[in-house]
Amino acid sequence: MHSLPAQPVVQLRHVSKEYYRDKLRIPVLADTSLDIPAGEFVAVMGPSGSGKSTLLNLCAGLDRPTTGTIVVAGQDLGELSESQLTRWRSEHLGFIFQLYNLMPVLTAFENVELPLLLTNLSRRERARHVETALRIVGLEDRMHHYPRQLSGGQEQRVAIARAIVTDPVLLLADEPTGNLDAVAAVEVLDLLAQLNAEFGKTIVMVTHDPRAARRAHRILHLEKGRFEEADIEAIERGRSSGGDGERRRSPRAPSAEIAG
Amino acid sequence: MKFLPYLLKNVARHKLRNLFTMLSIGVSLFLVTLLYAYLDFQEELGKQSADYRRLVVTHVEGLTALMPLAVVDRIRALPGVKAAMPLSWFGGLYQDDKLPFAQFATDPMQCMDVWTEYRLPPEQLLAWQQDRTGCVVGNVIAEKRGWKLGDRIVLKGTIYDCNLELTVRGIYTGPDSGDPEMLWFHYSYFDELLKARRARAAGRIGTVFVKVADEANLADVARRIDERFASSDTPLRAMTEQAFVQSFTEMVGNVQAFIQNTALAVVFALVCVAANAMAMSLRERVREVAVLKAIGFQRRTILGLVLGEAMLIALAGGIIGVGSVKLLTTFVDPSVAGIPGLTRFYVPWNSAFTGLLLAVGVGLASGVIPAVRAANLSVVDGLRRVV
Repeated sequence: MHSLPAQPVVQLRHVSKEYYRDKLRIPVLADTSLDIPAGEFVAVMGPSGSGKSTLLNLCAGLDRPTTGTIVVAGQDLGELSESQLTRWRSEHLGFIFQLYNLMPVLTAFENVELPLLLTNLSRRERARHVETALRIVGLEDRMHHYPRQLSGGQEQRVAIARAIVTDPVLLLADEPTGNLDAVAAVEVLDLLAQLNAEFGKTIVMVTHDPRAARRAHRILHLEKGRFEEADIEAIERGRSSGGDGERRRSPRAPSAEIAG
Repeated sequence: MKFLPYLLKNVARHKLRNLFTMLSIGVSLFLVTLLYAYLDFQEELGKQSADYRRLVVTHVEGLTALMPLAVVDRIRALPGVKAAMPLSWFGGLYQDDKLPFAQFATDPMQCMDVWTEYRLPPEQLLAWQQDRTGCVVGNVIAEKRGWKLGDRIVLKGTIYDCNLELTVRGIYTGPDSGDPEMLWFHYSYFDELLKARRARAAGRIGTVFVKVADEANLADVARRIDERFASSDTPLRAMTEQAFVQSFTEMVGNVQAFIQNTALAVVFALVCVAANAMAMSLRERVREVAVLKAIGFQRRTILGLVLGEAMLIALAGGIIGVGSVKLLTTFVDPSVAGIPGLTRFYVPWNSAFTGLLLAVGVGLASGVIPAVRAANLSVVDGLRRVV
């Protein structure tokens, strides 16, 4: 596994992001700064449209900021071309999606092997890596099963194995439990916590679920494109009373920047 | 190669749709290969005939204009000519035949000196030469029709108002490149029947086949023949057998252009069909493409994967089509096609390879647009897409 870099794995400095729909300007992130140290497990919460997915996309180099700089694993993403970014992603990032996004025509083994096809590893080495990844997620006995033959939780674990098979520095998870029942969600969260604790993976997880967020070291709340410290109790109270808990943030944490 | 299993699984993803695409490519390439093979086959025949050092002499106006029989002796007397014989197409029907097989009136005394690639036992040649109504048939047609030495064959004239009553005196064999389904008979017998009916064709012949003594002299002898008859009542034109085969093909019209244009139209239609299937398939996989790009697949890798998939489908169709036409022409008698004069036909290997190459080209062309679109897909938009 990688040795952890001394500097923060994710550094955002005065990042803003705007989209244009026709001629309409849509600000998503506004002058946002953020540091995520190596080995941290961060949950990002916030209402729909608050910029959570945009933040993940920017950290992954899938999208470019309108202003500001993003440094991930010591690399200023703004300095990389599209092609360099793609290669960089394959070497440093692992993705976990809400809908798993496994290739339906491939077995669990082949799905996990996909990122390794981009490396120079031999077939035998690839197999060894895939088996290790599947063993970590507890699916070594399902490696020849197709996604349709797996439960939702198992599919997500295969997706996690695919995310970690290249031994990335940073795992980006976009609502990884959003499509799972409670039991499967707990299994996936346990697995993420294990990857963080045992393998030192830095994890940024977007979630709407306060219980999932509680598993993180730090919870960030995005509201109208700005970070705020989240008051998880308030969010949970909001949920239990039927309101949109994520909209109720703590009045104690009004800061726009949580850097450092 | 490490992406091949993934490609094959994607091809097998929509079995029925891809099977239909493959079949449409297969059927179309079957026809295109068949048409191209006809051209290549004619060309190959011409090339083979070049080895036999022969010239074919026709009236300068072409095959439809006849020449007096006397030109044969005059040609034979020219320097550099080893042997010469008349050859006239009879085109008669045998029993219930709907179409004639190849029957030629010729000179049995010169025939084997001109067509040196064929073999006829000396006693059979002698028997043929001595029997004015005798004929010689190829071993393949003899076997097909059950003809033996001494059998009587009656050919009913379709071009000429006379019937031939012939006796099989010989059965010839020849090389693979030869035509084993011809029938040769005495020109003198044919001419006698024509004269009895005061036919205009009496004493006239269609072509003269000339065997040249030395290959280097082929052009000289051809020039000599042209010059010898240039100022006569019957101006003649001598050409190599290869050129003659070619001109014979062109008599049907500009076959080559026709075939090429037809092939072009078929290929264009094929590209459209295959591109549509490929685009449809990719539309259903936008998220998957986005995921591949998100986990590090480069644009060129995506491009290669989509093009590879399109080429695999097209190549499979090509193998079905080209393989079928190759097998069909190898094992099925071409005369069942009912094309006059087409007694033998096969698909040369270069035509088969051209067909397969065309399949790859169709795959490439059909995959370009979907591949470029997939390669340029925005990951963010692709992941957002609900299919």
